[in-house]
Amino acid sequence: MSTVIEIKGDHQGFKEDVETTDMALFVRTSDEAMYGWDRQKIVDALIRETYVDVDTAKEIAREVEDLIATSKIKMITAPLIRELVDTKLIERGLEQARKMHTRLGMPLYDVDQLILHPNKENANVPHGPEATNLTLAERIKKEYALLSVFSQDVADAHMRGDIHLHDLGFIDRPYCSGQSLEYIKRFGLSLPNSIAMAKPAKHPEVLLAHMVKFAAALQSHFAGAIGWDSINLFFAPYLEGMSDQELEQLAQMMIFEFSQQAVARGGQAIFTDLNLYWEIPKHFENVPAIGPGGEFTGKTYSDYLKESQRFAIALFNVYQEGDGSGRPFFFPKPLVHITEKFFQTPGHMDFLYLICEVASDKGNTYFVFDRGETAKISECCRLSFKLDQTDFEDAKQPWRMRYCALQNVTLNLPRIAYLAKGEDAQLFSKIGEFVEMAVKAHLEKKFFIERLLSLGERGPLALLAMDRDGTPYLRMHRASFLVGMVGLNELVQIHTGQEMHQSKQAFKLGLKVIAHMKLMLDKFSQRYGMRFVLEQTPAESTAYRFAKLDLKFHSPQSGHIVKGDISKGEVYYTNSTYLNNSAVLNPIERVRQEGLFHPLIEGGALTHIWLGEAKPAKSSLANFVRKTFQWTQNDQIAFSPEFTTCNCCNRTSRSLRSSCAYCGSNDVDGITRITGYFTKVSSWNKGKLGELRNRYRNQAFLTEKEGEMELVVNTK
Amino acid sequence: MIEIKGFLETSLSDWPGKICSVLFLPHCNFRCPYCHNHPLVFNPEQYSTIPLEKIFDRLHSFTNWIDGICLTGGEPTLHADLPLLIRKIKEHRFLVKLDTNGSNPRMLENLIEKGEIDFVSMDVKAPLDPFRYSCSIGVPIDLKPILDSIALLKREKVEYEFRMTVVPGLHQEGDIKNLGNQLRVGRRLILQNFNPENPLDPSLKQVIPYDPQVLKQIEKEVQEMTPSPLSLKDESAILTLTH
Amino acid sequence: MGLIKIFTKAHCPKCPAVKEMGMVLKKEGVPVLNYDLDTVEGLGEASFYSILATPSIVIEDEEEREVVSWRGVVPSLQEVRRYLLRGIS
Repeated sequence: MSTVIEIKGDHQGFKEDVETTDMALFVRTSDEAMYGWDRQKIVDALIRETYVDVDTAKEIAREVEDLIATSKIKMITAPLIRELVDTKLIERGLEQARKMHTRLGMPLYDVDQLILHPNKENANVPHGPEATNLTLAERIKKEYALLSVFSQDVADAHMRGDIHLHDLGFIDRPYCSGQSLEYIKRFGLSLPNSIAMAKPAKHPEVLLAHMVKFAAALQSHFAGAIGWDSINLFFAPYLEGMSDQELEQLAQMMIFEFSQQAVARGGQAIFTDLNLYWEIPKHFENVPAIGPGGEFTGKTYSDYLKESQRFAIALFNVYQEGDGSGRPFFFPKPLVHITEKFFQTPGHMDFLYLICEVASDKGNTYFVFDRGETAKISECCRLSFKLDQTDFEDAKQPWRMRYCALQNVTLNLPRIAYLAKGEDAQLFSKIGEFVEMAVKAHLEKKFFIERLLSLGERGPLALLAMDRDGTPYLRMHRASFLVGMVGLNELVQIHTGQEMHQSKQAFKLGLKVIAHMKLMLDKFSQRYGMRFVLEQTPAESTAYRFAKLDLKFHSPQSGHIVKGDISKGEVYYTNSTYLNNSAVLNPIERVRQEGLFHPLIEGGALTHIWLGEAKPAKSSLANFVRKTFQWTQNDQIAFSPEFTTCNCCNRTSRSLRSSCAYCGSNDVDGITRITGYFTKVSSWNKGKLGELRNRYRNQAFLTEKEGEMELVVNTK
Repeated sequence: MIEIKGFLETSLSDWPGKICSVLFLPHCNFRCPYCHNHPLVFNPEQYSTIPLEKIFDRLHSFTNWIDGICLTGGEPTLHADLPLLIRKIKEHRFLVKLDTNGSNPRMLENLIEKGEIDFVSMDVKAPLDPFRYSCSIGVPIDLKPILDSIALLKREKVEYEFRMTVVPGLHQEGDIKNLGNQLRVGRRLILQNFNPENPLDPSLKQVIPYDPQVLKQIEKEVQEMTPSPLSLKDESAILTLTH
Repeated sequence: MGLIKIFTKAHCPKCPAVKEMGMVLKKEGVPVLNYDLDTVEGLGEASFYSILATPSIVIEDEEEREVVSWRGVVPSLQEVRRYLLRGIS
């Protein structure tokens, strides 16, 4: 523990042996020890940690000693001494030294709250000792990041809420990552720092075990999602000769393994994405397949179409059933890629019906649209990587295909509009300033992570530095740097008086803003040789944080702009480039209009269709999915039903209710999609609760004669 | 012209396989206690009428997306000028689905014969005996038109389905199977769960719907009841069964 | 009266031909709007029409409804004229 003044140990030099005040004072340190007073320790700490000269250090030590002596206290804590020293540094104008000498930590009250109450910033974190550990660690690392990793202006921009630096508590890890199962198929599971080395798996169950463990290892090296590419295809060579029942068993194991990993880091389930294909993706058609024991099977992946498809069906049969009490699985998320080839591959209609049935019943399915020649790997809530020419080269050796995003920085777009005061030129130049700040933050994080990686397999990021194929696991030159946005709808509303869905002009301004951001990022990408891309931030808590901060700094104007219910404190800005959640827009319009933004947002985008209690026909959903592929540029869609699960009788019913539909108990929990994943509503933060109340669920409405009141009735 | 009282631009749940718009028409001759569109039955004048032109204008912007229009209510066949409305919709090249309670077989037959409708969804309310049926629809009824409509649809000149909303207390499991046996239409009989939100008879708010799993099982059973050779030969067989 | 929107980029092989066409039509009194996809204005407008390739041409009627579009291809001047007559009259 170097965060306290070191009391123990011998101190060399600088020791002043005259007139050491013989105070009857004890110092409590965080080393679970008490020591007698020794002024010299202050001097030592100042010399070790700051640039202060010896004389000043001694002077400060003496002043602090005097201060304590006159107070006549008998016991003092090391942190308090440190703060007293800091006040002396400030008196001398030694601001830099004070910063370096800062103590990171938390007030007793906060720790007490934390241990007793759940964390609502991320609904994926349950409440328990592991979760509390995570939050405590995050708090310290967050402070460390803002003080030491980022420059003052970046840190200040974050604190003010101009931008949001995501996952500061995970400052020493990259953001999220996408892998190829081929890596562990070929190299087995041989992790740095791990005692046992496992050779490549010979059986599908073992491969699954390797996959789960590798995912857990990765989770402790990344802040966010862990994605897997073409998982049904890469499992296929292990599945030859298996019966339907055995396959379903394996599928069940996979889904339960990942959905019940709440025993992992911080008690958090591993945020897992499974990318699935009905066809053999073009770029893997002629690639030699790796089978049991890590050996090439002598066939190409095209020869495993049948097994690959059977496994995909088995996985969706499991999703369809739901967990032990019929609830949808929260993780792993299945992402099905819809491509031209999908529609040319026999059996696609039956498969489409199956995944649509799951979408309608349980909501799990994500439909990812890869049009034309593009191929993508979707990773996180929305993040996807488009494969370029070099990736297609990599595809010949699929284990090389591992990707990551290093960090995600989100801009508070409504803030920009308040500052621009209605002037176009101001608006666009401010956007530029904010983007530049985000880029600066990325450069600083990259520098920091590179420092950690440079320590290689003996450093803290050993797993990411491990080299099994001539390249470190984390391929920095392939990393993305994400710039997200919150509240485009409100920016437009502040600037023009209209929300994006209200007029063509308003909508076009929204497009221009995003186009501006994209063009700027393209320029920065060229300048720095890095990949800066726009992403739709999931912004689970950012949309809430920005709204709260703007209520503070831009009142009263912001009072008319933020969405939700101010009196309840349930405020938020509309996520990313979305249209108002409560706007009466039918799903076609939403998919089409939101989709116009998607080609600009290369890091990945998604349109949500909130189903509420409606349970669409699978064949109608399939129709909708097909038309979305054909007639729009929308990147990804998901249908979100709502459920009520009873803590009393353990049954799950459709729609959000205040009591159980079966046993009448009031001890119920709502379940629906928060941003990119399903959770219990009771774990949501206030901003998201406000949004949930506002979500428009495509119910029928009858317009009342007087006024514009709408009476909602349910469709048959 | 019929007054259109409600317009749902997109529905994915009203017409299997299709994306459709739904038009809500006022008035009904039934008083089903579990009806949740009852404001349309009792006070249609409280809602403004939506001009048909406005609807077509709106639908124009969904070219390539909306396959058809579903007419529901209320009871659409109460309106003598329903065929006119349907013709106008057809002029705009939309498919038409009709939701009906089967009380107007003559209009239904006309529409089918002229090929004006593409899909009929008929609500069946209870096993086909006058007493049980009357209980389910809240008014006394002569079953003849209902039976005629059923027979008409079973001629298969148009795509169709029968839908039964199942309300615990009103319908026992045996009733559903009874009806299934009387209809014998296989997968064309669909069971819908009762929705306790805002029913016509407020006392039904307390009724707990069937467990979906249970309902699904019953549905599976009745859907396995396929047409008997007898009923295929003789359309009036269904009448003899019930009388 | 409707109009024609032309979407181009600085470095695209087929773009000069379309720009040329735009100039000809402009001289004939047809309202022509040019958009460069490397600019904010141009990229924003192109996104509105889901234009992902250059050169592209969109003809709109007086109510700003799309009459026809060519995306990433170059139509003949006659072809464009034919639709202009239809969309604008």
